Amino acid sequence: MNHMERAMAALTNEPVDHLPAYPIACGVNRNLLPGNVTYHEWCTNPKLFADAFVAGHKYYDFDFAIGLMDLSVMAGDLGAHVRMDEENTPFVDKHIIHSVEDYEKLEVPDIKKGRSGVILEGTKIFAEKLKGEVITAGFLEGPLLALTQTAGAERVFMDMFTNPSAVHAGLKTMTDYDAQMVEAFGKTGANGLCWDYLWANYSCLGDKEYHEFEGSDKYAAKLNRMTVENGMALCIHNCADMPHLDTQVKEFKPVIYSMAYYPLIPGSPSASEVIEKGYADNCLIGGNIDPQFFIRATPEKISKVTQDLCQEVKTALCKRGLNSRYCVASGCEVPPDIGTKKENIKAVVDTTKKYGVVKC
Amino acid sequence: MTKDALLARLADAVISGKPDLAKEGAHEVLKNGVSPMAAINEGLVKGMSVVGDRYAAHEVYLPQVLMSAHTMYAGLDILLPAIPKEEVADKKKVIIGVVEGDVHDIGKNIVKTMMTAGGFEVLDMGRDVPISTFIESSEKEKVDVVAMSTLMTPTMDGMKEVIDGLKESGYRSKVQVIIGGPPTSPTFAKEIGADHRDANAQDSVANLKGVFK
Repeated sequence: MNHMERAMAALTNEPVDHLPAYPIACGVNRNLLPGNVTYHEWCTNPKLFADAFVAGHKYYDFDFAIGLMDLSVMAGDLGAHVRMDEENTPFVDKHIIHSVEDYEKLEVPDIKKGRSGVILEGTKIFAEKLKGEVITAGFLEGPLLALTQTAGAERVFMDMFTNPSAVHAGLKTMTDYDAQMVEAFGKTGANGLCWDYLWANYSCLGDKEYHEFEGSDKYAAKLNRMTVENGMALCIHNCADMPHLDTQVKEFKPVIYSMAYYPLIPGSPSASEVIEKGYADNCLIGGNIDPQFFIRATPEKISKVTQDLCQEVKTALCKRGLNSRYCVASGCEVPPDIGTKKENIKAVVDTTKKYGVVKC
Repeated sequence: MTKDALLARLADAVISGKPDLAKEGAHEVLKNGVSPMAAINEGLVKGMSVVGDRYAAHEVYLPQVLMSAHTMYAGLDILLPAIPKEEVADKKKVIIGVVEGDVHDIGKNIVKTMMTAGGFEVLDMGRDVPISTFIESSEKEKVDVVAMSTLMTPTMDGMKEVIDGLKESGYRSKVQVIIGGPPTSPTFAKEIGADHRDANAQDSVANLKGVFK
């Protein structure tokens, strides 16, 4: 099977030659480009952004390409100060919400400018270059994530309790911003759009709070619908320890759900638990290799981890009567750190090819 | 109002996340001659423990926990200065912060709150804390515990640099070093020479109470 055949089969629960593989390697792919491209250069230049995804696909033989940049894109374009070191993931170090009134002052920026423009243009380039070879998707921060990045998570969480109407005012602007981005992503040619809705986490919010501040039809549900209306498959990434699987998989109905696993946290769902509980019945689940292994493990160690995950997944899929519907991936982005080992990314893909054959 | 009623009022203020009620309650206990230490332990901390237990049981979530923590500190700001010095002398001292290069401090703040509620004196260095600040302040403040947190992979090595610096300064043998944050693990803690990797705030306090019992 080629990449498209394998991915399409896995998405529709048809038999596959082996499980698809996609360690979420994004910024780290810049290391495959000539000329020692820094993270700063990669995340501010649409051509370099795109070329890295193409290079990653060619070098590692990935089955998907999902255009994650980092989680400070929207906040930065809204005016928050982003600390942009040469080689590290940028992050917001100065928020712009300092009072309840400030939520009302947020305005949707010009999405053609700033890093919103870079990610849109870059996605268009790599979606075109990889068209027909792999499934491609854009990547976008959900409204609550974008707001917490802009205002600071602690501030937003306390304001949910004391000034919920102010938080809703901020979320409305974020949703308007996201809506414009969805329409623009719809014109890039990407097959899907992957949302980061990471606050759907029982370590942070309950069902009631999540529904009120992101899950409802005012916010995420509306954006999910817009994603499909703009011709893209709905995908969700959530690297939380205790994700809201019923809401995000069963209610939102994404075609791909990418998730992490925290073995030391009681209640964090493993791959087999997720499959056994039916979350892969109608959705391709991606997960869940610890991103730290890409830096700190040896290739032998990460190969063993991947082999064990393949075995766990195959056993669970067969028990559930499924043919595929699991993609061997990292639980969150492969660290774009210069210390990340290329051979470890390669080892995950190669081990999946060897041990990801599902025969029930 | 009886002493018990005054303390219950403080606990209720924390449980319901009402800082103004905690401030009023704190002034009231002092006016009525109740020991500030009792007001902290049997009022504010008791309330925060209830919230901590409810959080662990997923009955309440971060917004409520953060408001309760904010409420507890509002009461502590009034009660702590009123405690006679000799009463705080035997409290174990913790220095806590997010290591240099990272500003994600929500987890650190929850741990700080639970440590305070657990009876530790916590010196919060904030976020993006330089390596040298951890090392120099540990010795200067004669702390018993160095607690470091990070969310971001590239800053993890800063934790090792702090431990190495503590070794060089000769202070490492006098402190417990604990680390936390999503990218860390017990294996990583062992690799860099930390004493413990905390899975969560409750685990952090339980570990330290075990160490210092």
